[in-house]
This record gives sequence, C-alpha cells and structure tokens, in this order.
Amino acid sequence: MYLNETQEQVRETVQAFADDVIRPAAEALDREERFPAEIFDEMAKLGLFGIGVPEALGGPGFDTLTYAVVMEELSRGYASVADQCGLVELISTLLVRHGTERQQAMLPDILAMRRKVAYCITEPEAGTDVSGIRTTAEKDGDGWVLNGGKIWIHNAPVADTGFVLARTDKEAGTRGMSIFIVDLHARGVERGPKEHKMGQRASQVGGLNFSDVRLGRDALLGEAGRGFHMMMSVLDKGRVGIAALAVGIAQAGLEAAVDYAGTRKQFGKPISDFQGVQWLLADMAKDIEAARLLVHSAAVKIDRGLDATRSCSMAKCFAGDIAVARTADAVQVFGGSGYIRGFEVERLYRDAKITQIYEGTNQIQRMIIARELMKKGARA
Amino acid sequence: MKILVPVKRVIDYNVKVRVRTDGSGVDLANVKMSMNPFDEIAVEEAVRLKEKGVASEIVVVSIGVQQAKDTLRSALAMGADRAILIDATSDVNQDIEPLAVARLLSRIVEAERPDLVIAGKQAIDNDMNATGQMLAGLLGWGQATFASKIEIADGRAVVTREVDGGLQTIGVRLPAVVTVDLRLNEPRYVSLPSIMKAKKKPLEERTAAALDVDVTPRLKIVRTVEPPQRVAGVRVASVDELIEKLKNQAGVL
Repeated sequence: MYLNETQEQVRETVQAFADDVIRPAAEALDREERFPAEIFDEMAKLGLFGIGVPEALGGPGFDTLTYAVVMEELSRGYASVADQCGLVELISTLLVRHGTERQQAMLPDILAMRRKVAYCITEPEAGTDVSGIRTTAEKDGDGWVLNGGKIWIHNAPVADTGFVLARTDKEAGTRGMSIFIVDLHARGVERGPKEHKMGQRASQVGGLNFSDVRLGRDALLGEAGRGFHMMMSVLDKGRVGIAALAVGIAQAGLEAAVDYAGTRKQFGKPISDFQGVQWLLADMAKDIEAARLLVHSAAVKIDRGLDATRSCSMAKCFAGDIAVARTADAVQVFGGSGYIRGFEVERLYRDAKITQIYEGTNQIQRMIIARELMKKGARA
Repeated sequence: MKILVPVKRVIDYNVKVRVRTDGSGVDLANVKMSMNPFDEIAVEEAVRLKEKGVASEIVVVSIGVQQAKDTLRSALAMGADRAILIDATSDVNQDIEPLAVARLLSRIVEAERPDLVIAGKQAIDNDMNATGQMLAGLLGWGQATFASKIEIADGRAVVTREVDGGLQTIGVRLPAVVTVDLRLNEPRYVSLPSIMKAKKKPLEERTAAALDVDVTPRLKIVRTVEPPQRVAGVRVASVDELIEKLKNQAGVL
C-alpha cells in the first residue's frame, strides 16, 4: 500500500482495537443509547484523541492522512465512537491554532477525556446557513454575557466545556461572530433533553440554553469577530474526518456481507455463488475503495498545504452517499435477517444516513464543488 | 538488568495460509506479515519487567529480510529501547533455521551481555520450538521453557512452566534463556504517541556474513500439503447412538 510504515502501524493498532473492543460493544451501545465512557478511557490511553496535536502540546502529532486512517478504522468498529474522536480533533485543532497558552493548558484534560467538549454551532434558525445564528455575547466589563440557544449539539448532555459560536456584532454579518469557551456547569446554562436518533445512537445529542451566562476575559477564542472564519478553517479537516467515518461504516457492511454470502446457503450452495449477489458485493467494494481514495487524496492535499476545499467536499459527499447506498446493499445481501434489530448491517444502514447530513449536507457539498468549478476552472 | 528479546516476522495469524502449487512451502507473496504472537508476549513481559523497575534496558533482535524492520519497529513501539536487524537473506521465502538463528543470537548475546533472554516458545510459521533451547545450549546458560509466570529476584528467575499434566515451578540462575507460552500475559495495544517515539529509537543493522554464521539451510522440505477439508457432521438420534459412535467409529471412548 501507499501508506508509510508509521501510518500502516497506526492502522494495524487501531484496526485490532476496533475489532477486539469497539465492534463487539456496538450492538448494545446502539440499543441502550449509552455514552461509552470505558471505551473512550481506553482510547485516551492509546492516544486516539487529538491525533494532530503536536508533541509539544501533549499529542502524538500525526498528519491528516493518519487521522483519516484512524477515523475509518474506529468507525468500522462503531461510528459513534469515531465521531467522538472527530469532535475532539476539531476542538483540539481550534485550540492549537487559535488558543492562548492558558487556553491550551486544557488540552491534556481534553485528550484524556477528563474534560468532555461540545462544539456548539447549530440553532433552530441556523442549520446549514450558519450566518443566521441568534445567540449573542455582549461585552460586559472585562468579559461577556452569553444569551441564546443551541440544538442538536453532540455531547451536550454530558459535556463539561462548550465551544460556542455567538454573535458579538449584530451589524457585521459573518464578521460579527466569535467563539467562546464556556463552562457548561456554570450558572445560566441549561441542558435540554437527550435526542433519540435514528442512528449513531451512542452519540449523546441535545440542546443547550444560555441565559445571562457570565464569561470571563479568557473565554474568547482567538480574535473577536473571527469566529466564523476560525470555524471555516477547520471545516476541511472535519469533512475528511466524516468522509473517513462514512467509509468505515461502508467497510464494516462489506465485511459483514462478504462473510454472510460465503456461509449462507440457498438452493444447496452459498449465495455468493449467485451472480446477482456477486455483483452487489463487487459494486460495494469498488465504491468503498473509490471513496477511500478520495478521502486519502483530500487528506494528502491538506497535509501538503494545497487547496483542498474541492477534494474535501467531493470526499465527504461521495463517501456519505455510498455509505448509505452500499450499507443498503449489505442489508439486501442479508435478506430478511438484515432488517432485524441486532444484525450489524441493520444498524450500519441507520448509522450511515447522518453522514449525508452533518458536517455540511451533501447538497451544500455539491454547491461548493460547483462553485469551485466555476471559480477555479474544471482542472483540479 | 538488560533483557534481549528475539522477534520473528511471520505470516499474520489472521491470514488464511495457502500452500504453493508446487508444494515447496507456503505462499508468502503479498501476504500480511506480523510479529510472531509468542514473541509479542516475550516483548510485553520484558516491557512489564522494565515498568516494574526490574529491567533497565530492552534490546530486540530480528533475523531475516529487510522487511523485518517493521517487526522491530512494532517491538520498539511496545516499549523496547533499541533494535538490531541481522540481515541474513534477501529471499522472503527463505526461513533461517533454528540452529543458525541460535548461533547468530549467541553472537549478539556475546556482544550485548544481557542478563536474560526472553523468547517466544516457538514461531507460528514452522512451529519448531527449538531456538531458545539451542541458544541456551550454545551459551552454556540455564533455560526455562513454556513460561506462564516469570519472577526475578536475587540473580535468579523463578519460572512457572506449562508442562503436560500441570504447572512446574523452577529456579534458574541468571543469565538464562526463558521461552514464553500463551498464558504469560496479554500484549498491549501500542499507543499512537509510542509509535511516534519508536521512530526515533535506534535501529542498528548487522549481516549474518559479518557475524560469520552460515545460514545455508540444512533441512530439505520434501512436501507441503493443505490440511484435509473438514467433512460434514452427522446427526444422532439418541445418546446411546452417540456413545456407540464415539466408541466404535471415532474410537475416542
């Protein structure tokens, strides 16, 4: 393979961990909608949070390609587990790039999962169009006062610290937003009920309400008014992460389908002897490999400092779409069994759907790809 | 205390092994290779002894092709301090036989002067179960094989051995060779930071020729065959029939 020795070594380690620890636990975690604290503790010990954080700041300092490899393998175990890794990666990337020394001091706790984080962007009126946010932070002496509400926030029911996008200047549009580091145990923070989702059900998602939450001067991340741009600057990496997560879901589906097709007998022979099933498996395998290569090429572009926007959107869009289509095929290979709770492919199909929606819907990804085409030309 | 751990690069235990069509051996082309699982247990034990403060340095050695460097890097990531590769062949299909391996290791032992050699009891490719014993013989050291527990105290290793019919505990004076069995420990997953650190640990290269050991095979493989296909079972109607079949057909009662 084209992965180097170190990347291959990381892949083998995470692959073994996913096979031994994560994948066997996934069915129960999905059924119980439970936050897998014990798995996250193990992952923290293995350094699987904050993969890109430089060694000087307490991380392993790996590149984006290694991050993508880790995300795929974790997700092959269970997407909800990978998504926590993706969340910590985004937050730690923001802290590494924009945090003060004092703010970066919280990195070791975040990487060890002693401090759980939430990335608080979405609001009822601001989903895909982030510029519509209504949460405000008003200057008050040395600090700010935070008011507003967020919905569908990953980790909201369990998080200790929120990274909250709020409006600091009502007139300035996207230049009037800032990111604040908010103690979610503080007075004035209220947590909404946990949402019951279709898939990735071990991920805890809910709302947060802020009423007159007092923020000190250290709460502001980076510069005031730069929140939107800071958020956009980590989007490419976020998309690579989610694209890799989608590939991992589809890969788990392929592995299950290949095993099943080789052992399930009908008409006196394994169903893998029938061309109808063979073509399903072949199409699954080639789409997954194509998606993986898109993810890796987008990751390499980020690592080499090249313009990666188009590649990241293509990877996220394609991987999400094929994750849904090919896990549906995996259900098809399993026949009636695949439609039954407790069979892995049934869960994978549900887990896949959100990858077309979060981290920028696939409609938005197509808009970005088209916009890039018109702006920079058809040649990549 | 210094510990030396030999590690072998073998066909991964998850790979479905295929015999080459000419019967000359097992197909190793484009097959996933990993550290011999028993050697992983040996490295893990050495690392635990270091973590307990019993050992101060762990040196890992691999013998064979250049690709064995991957195996050494894995051992370094698990916690070994430095590695030595003995380049003995460029042919991935050539297995270096136990006596040649033991001779090469004895040269390294003479140079490194470890207090303890911890080795896997056997490699899962050829299942020879000979190298550790031969090394002890060449060095004139004591040996304790099939270890399921190792304790070091007062210049001695107290080793619990898994033998036919139970467990046997023996004491050997150091320096000694200990070979390890499956139940000694459960090797750790290597962490990402330790993979990064392993890249900076020293990996030294030697050649079998420079160590003056002849690695020419002395054994000739006559034939390699696939194990027989498992045949379908039969359903019995009663316990009596089962006992009758176990007695008269299977001959196990």
